[in-house]
Order: sequence, then C-alpha cells, then structure tokens
Amino acid sequence: MRRLVRRFGNAFTAMPLVVKVALLWLIFIVAAAIYSRLDRLFGQALPLQDPFYQPFLFGEALPVEGPSSSHLLGTDVLSRDNLARLLHGGWVSLIVAGTVVIFGVAFGGFIGAFVGYTRGKAETVTMAALDVILAFPPLVLLLALVAVYKVRNLTMIALVFGVLGIPTYVRIARASTLGIAGREFVQAAEAIGTKRTAILFREIIPNILPALFAYALINAGYVIVVEGTLSYLGLSVQIPEPTWGNMINEGRRDIRQTILPIFWPGLFLTLTVVSLNLVGDWLQQRVAVRSSAL
Amino acid sequence: MFGKVLAAKTVRLIATLFAVSLLTFLLVEQLPGDPILAILPPGGLDDLENIERIRKELRLDDPVFTRYFRWVGNALQGDLGKSYITDQPVADAIKDRIPVTMELALLATLIAALLAIPIGALSAYREGGYFDRAMSAFTTAALSIPGFLAGIFFIWLFTLKFNWLPSTGWNRISDKGLFANLQTAILPAASLALAPLAINARLIRADMIGTLKEDYILSAKAKGLRDRYILMRHALRPSSLTAITVFALQLGGLIGGTVVIETVFALPGLGTRLISGIYQRDVMMIQGITLFIATVYVVVNALVDLLYAILDPRIRRQ
Repeated sequence: MRRLVRRFGNAFTAMPLVVKVALLWLIFIVAAAIYSRLDRLFGQALPLQDPFYQPFLFGEALPVEGPSSSHLLGTDVLSRDNLARLLHGGWVSLIVAGTVVIFGVAFGGFIGAFVGYTRGKAETVTMAALDVILAFPPLVLLLALVAVYKVRNLTMIALVFGVLGIPTYVRIARASTLGIAGREFVQAAEAIGTKRTAILFREIIPNILPALFAYALINAGYVIVVEGTLSYLGLSVQIPEPTWGNMINEGRRDIRQTILPIFWPGLFLTLTVVSLNLVGDWLQQRVAVRSSAL
Repeated sequence: MFGKVLAAKTVRLIATLFAVSLLTFLLVEQLPGDPILAILPPGGLDDLENIERIRKELRLDDPVFTRYFRWVGNALQGDLGKSYITDQPVADAIKDRIPVTMELALLATLIAALLAIPIGALSAYREGGYFDRAMSAFTTAALSIPGFLAGIFFIWLFTLKFNWLPSTGWNRISDKGLFANLQTAILPAASLALAPLAINARLIRADMIGTLKEDYILSAKAKGLRDRYILMRHALRPSSLTAITVFALQLGGLIGGTVVIETVFALPGLGTRLISGIYQRDVMMIQGITLFIATVYVVVNALVDLLYAILDPRIRRQ
C-alpha cells in the first residue's frame, strides 16, 4: 500500500503543471458529485441546497437571484439554487461516464483480448458485428435508441451508453492483443505449456490494460459531451432531475434574464472534458513509451 | 489487382448497408407495446374500428421480417413510407430538408479547411514557438467544447451582446439571396467547424513536421529559396493528401453533427426533423431519417477509403 502511494506520488511529481491541475480538477469534480448525493445515502441534510426547492413560490426569494451568501452561484428563473443543481448534474455525468468506462474496460477489454488471442471464426464474427454498430454516426444511433423510451432515468441512460461504448474498447483491446500475442514472453509461456486461459489473464490482459485506461480517460470526456448533447435535446435523464445538458437547455430559454444557469454547467462541462483530454493524452504518451520499451 | 480490391470493398459496403438498415428497423421495432399505440393520437384508442382499419392498412400483423423486407424494398425505390402523424411522405421530408443540412456541413468543412491549413503549417514551421503553443491550447479547448455550447455562446456574443447577426432561423438562398443566407448560416457552420478544425490543424501540423525534416526540404533551403516559398510549394503539397482525406472523412461525421446544431439555431434541416419526429414518436420518420443519415455516413466513408487507396500507391498494393 505504501509503495503504491509512493509510486503515485512519483508519477504526480513527474507530471507537467497543466496535467497536475487537470487531475486535481477531476478529483474535485468527482468528490463534489459524490458529496451532492451523500444525503440520499445517509438520509441527512447537508449544507447544500435542495436542487428542486423553489423558495420564491413561498415568498422567500426573488425568481432570479445573483450570487450571494445563500446562493453562492446564484439561482435560475425558478429560483432554484445553481450550485446544488450543478453538483447534482455532475453526478449524472460521472455515473454515465463511469459506466461506459467500466463496461468498456471489463467487457470490451475481455472480449477484445479473447478474440485477439484465439483468432478464428469468433474473431471474424465479433468484429463484423461491431463494424455495423460503428457504421452509425454515434449520436444518431443513440437518438434512435432512446427515442422509443417514454421514461428515461439515469440507470437506463447509463446502461444504453455503457453498451454502445463497448465496440471501440473491443477494437483497441484486440489491436493491442495482436501486438502482444507474438512477443517473446507469450511464446515462452506457451513453450513451457501454460494453459491458454492463464496466458490470457496473466500475460495478455495485464499488458493491454494501460492502453485501455489511457483511452478510457479520453473516451470519458467524449461520453460526457455526448450525454450533455443528448440532455440538451431533452432526450437524456428527464427533468426535473438536473443534468449539465438540461440545465443549459432550460437556461437557453431564459438567456435574456440570467446567463448563470448556462454559464456554470458550460464551464464545468468544458473544464472537465479538457482535463480528461489532458490527463488522457499524457497517459497515452507514457503508455506508448512504456510499450515500446516492453 | 485493383479491380479485386474494388469488388471486395463493394461487397463489404453492401453487406454493411444491409446490416445497418436491419439494425435501424429493429431499433425502432423494439418499441415496447403495440406500435398502434404510438401511431394513434391520444384519445384515438376508443375507436376500435379505426384501430383495425389502420392495422390492416399498414399490415402491422405481418411478421417482423416480412415488414422489414417490404420496408427495405420500398426504400430502394425511394419510398420510405409516410409519417403516421403528418401524413407527409418521409422521402419528401428528407428532400425538403437536406439542402440546409448539406450547406451547413459543406460550409463547416470549408471554414475548417481554410483555417486549419495555415494554422497547421505555421505551427509546424515554428514548432515549439509562441504561435505553436497558443494554437495547441486553442485546439485542446476547441476539441473539448461541445458544439451546442459553442453555438449558444456565439448566439449570446453576436446576437445578444453585439446584435450583429440574427440568432435563429434560416434564409433560403432562393428567397433572400446569398448574403442573407450566409448571415443565418455562418454561426451554425462555425460552431460545427470547431472540432474538425482542431483535429485537422493538429494532423496537418504533425504531418508537416515530418515533411519538413525530409532531405528535399534541406536541399531547397540550401538552394537559398525563401522559407515561405518552401513551406507553400515543397512542404504543403505532400501533406495535402492527409488533409484531403481527413476533410472528406469528416464530412460524413458532420452530417450527424448537424443534428444538434440545427436544433440550437432552429434551422429547418434534417436534424430538427429527426428530433421533432422523436418528440412526436413518429416511427416512420425516425426510421427513414436514421437510415438516410447512416447510409450517407457509410457511403461517404467507403468512398474516402477508396479515394485513399487510389491516391496512395502504398495502400493500393496491400
């Protein structure tokens, strides 16, 4: 454990300054999103406003308020607290991106390594099936898929994104596996009679994971953008549940009264995606160096 | 030899199109419950005779695959059925809407090309310099900002703050002339162009850095040619192959990307029709437009693939 911490510390000091800042932002956004949901876990009120509460209905506030000590980031035209909505929206992005990454690395990584190592008919069929899914423009496929559901909640959206995200992970895992399967250490394991399953899990998969994780970070940024776009169109998690995309959609209508409900989610969305891209690019370069030295 | 490659690619293209159409059909067929529920307007469910009549008319009792082949057969003859809601033939809706979408995609490609080539070339020429670093920051940002957000920002800036351009809506060239048309097209095209612009500038930069290290560039320098001349005449030409392919490749993606941008700017394009079809649960419209966009996307990608094979002898030989 201590060694792991030290290794992480060393990696952190080796990062360029922008990448450090980006990583810190990502940690902050994950922590903030989790914090916003703690009350649902423990059933206890937190020092964070209720994202659905509209104080002006009870004569407690004006419809739109600028930043103040009670609403740090101001309110929207329904006098809902921007900060609370922003953090709750972050949770949606986090869950959707997290599901895609977990599904992609676990299922996509395994399928890709498996077909890449065993080759044969299974590989041909799998890759052909994936090509069909990848033949669609991603947003259009998603639209056609969510179009038919009348009720769209977070679980369903996360699952749809998670499943549709798998194909690219399979491709990457397969490509890296093809590169590794002919290497000396795999041949050596085969020569001493190691079982093929053992080779798959001990030699192949550990060596393709870094490339998958580097891609996962960049992919997570892309997923957050696509989910935001879908939300903006009103076709992701439904209102009143706040997401960054539907906050921007609702704010667009009231743009002449207040820009804040667009500005904050827009800023958070962009900063999070920039950070994921920066950290992902950095990791990808490190992985490339490492795999050329392998 | 080349004929063989062409034949193989054509077979593959047809197989992909077949699979794409099947998936499009099944996607919307997975609609939970009776499709008749989605077709009828609210309140139309009491009229049992009407329900039977529509069911017969649309032959909804046939097995799924019979209906699929009928749908695809008609689609091949240019008939995508008609909307259950507005009675408009889907093919007419597409014909009506496609000019807007095409103009946006082409204009965005043009903007991206006109800016990406000089940005990429200059960044490569002064690799690591101020311009290069500034542009690297710009491309990172441009790649991370969602298109719809850029669109809203442009509207806020150019319409609400400066009042230079109309925020939404569309002027047809035929009605109001080119200038009025461009006034409504420039902001959506610019928001659409951001991502391809960034990708292309990066690719051209990387490609040019490689090209500038070649011996013939060194010999051109030794001859005493001016830098600008070398950059434009000697270096840009081999890199233009990369540029042409990525531009063409992105055209297919842009047709999908216009969906959300058209919505932001309320333009009468294919994307807004798809979205309104989704809101109304207009099954035929969703299937037809999705099939159309996916087909364009697949065909454009296949053509680019082929173009690349024709242009680059190394790939042709494989």
